[in-house]
Amino acid sequence: MNAQKKLIIIDDDPNYVDGIKSVLETANYSVDVAYNPKDGFKALQTKRYDLLLLDIMMGRGAEGVALARKIRKDPLLRELPVLIITGIREQIAFLFPGQPVHPHFVELDELLEKPVEPKLLLEKVSSLLKMAEEKKS
Amino acid sequence: MVDALSFSSEVSNLMYASHGDPITNCLQCGTCSGTCPAVEFMDHTPRQIIGMIRADLKEEVLASNTYWTCASCYNCTVRCPAEIDIADMMYALKRYSMWKGTFQEGLIGPAFSEAFVKMIVNSGRSFEPLLAATYLPRFNASDIIQEGLMATGLVLSGKMPLLPKRIKGLKKFQQMVRRIIPIGEPS
Repeated sequence: MNAQKKLIIIDDDPNYVDGIKSVLETANYSVDVAYNPKDGFKALQTKRYDLLLLDIMMGRGAEGVALARKIRKDPLLRELPVLIITGIREQIAFLFPGQPVHPHFVELDELLEKPVEPKLLLEKVSSLLKMAEEKKS
Repeated sequence: MVDALSFSSEVSNLMYASHGDPITNCLQCGTCSGTCPAVEFMDHTPRQIIGMIRADLKEEVLASNTYWTCASCYNCTVRCPAEIDIADMMYALKRYSMWKGTFQEGLIGPAFSEAFVKMIVNSGRSFEPLLAATYLPRFNASDIIQEGLMATGLVLSGKMPLLPKRIKGLKKFQQMVRRIIPIGEPS
């Protein structure tokens, strides 16, 4: 029951990935990384993961969104909980006012904005994992 | 899955959708630089930028004005014997520098892009007089007069409206954009 949970980060920013990877590994998660959506999707198809941490702005634009939609259409991956971590509102060089609108890309997902506090990151990860488990049982 | 990611891999990831990792095919023949109409305004020629990316000179590449000076005419892309989409590479660097806020100060390109994206996302269409206002302050007096004359000509010949036109169903359009990308509430 208490087996180590396997997470995967798909994010193109190596510095950011280093940061959250070490936070998650310290909290005893096993963490894989893919630096572009294509490698990421390949990894998702070849290995089973408990949670995906997904960036939005990669490659030619909002490719994280395209990947999330692909996951939603895949019967094997549909149930995978996804934590979207994005700096999109800042990355397109200006902040849009108000709270980010969370479009709910997949059945079980949460949205966090960069920069993420380690404590908040771990809270969101464990609550998503819990929700996914409750849903399964 | 790689452990440490080099700058050239980062750039190749940005171009992933088009060509995998094309930059490594560069022969350094200089055809891109020779054919570039904007090269005289660039800190580094396109050939030099490709060489610098391959040498992982991240800071030097990002500090250069080259990729924001690119006019996207695609001469380099069409003529490259190694079939590298150099104009696309310039766009990749533009994206990278916008996402990380690491471009040279005082450039018109980033301010223009910001104004353009904001305008499209909020109103659904481009309105040139307002766009021009974002970069005019960076021009000198004679450039402003020249731009003014051109704008007057465009308005008089009916090619540029004086007032912005509203699109139909603007609210729906704004909702649609926000369903696709998680930006903030419409202003």
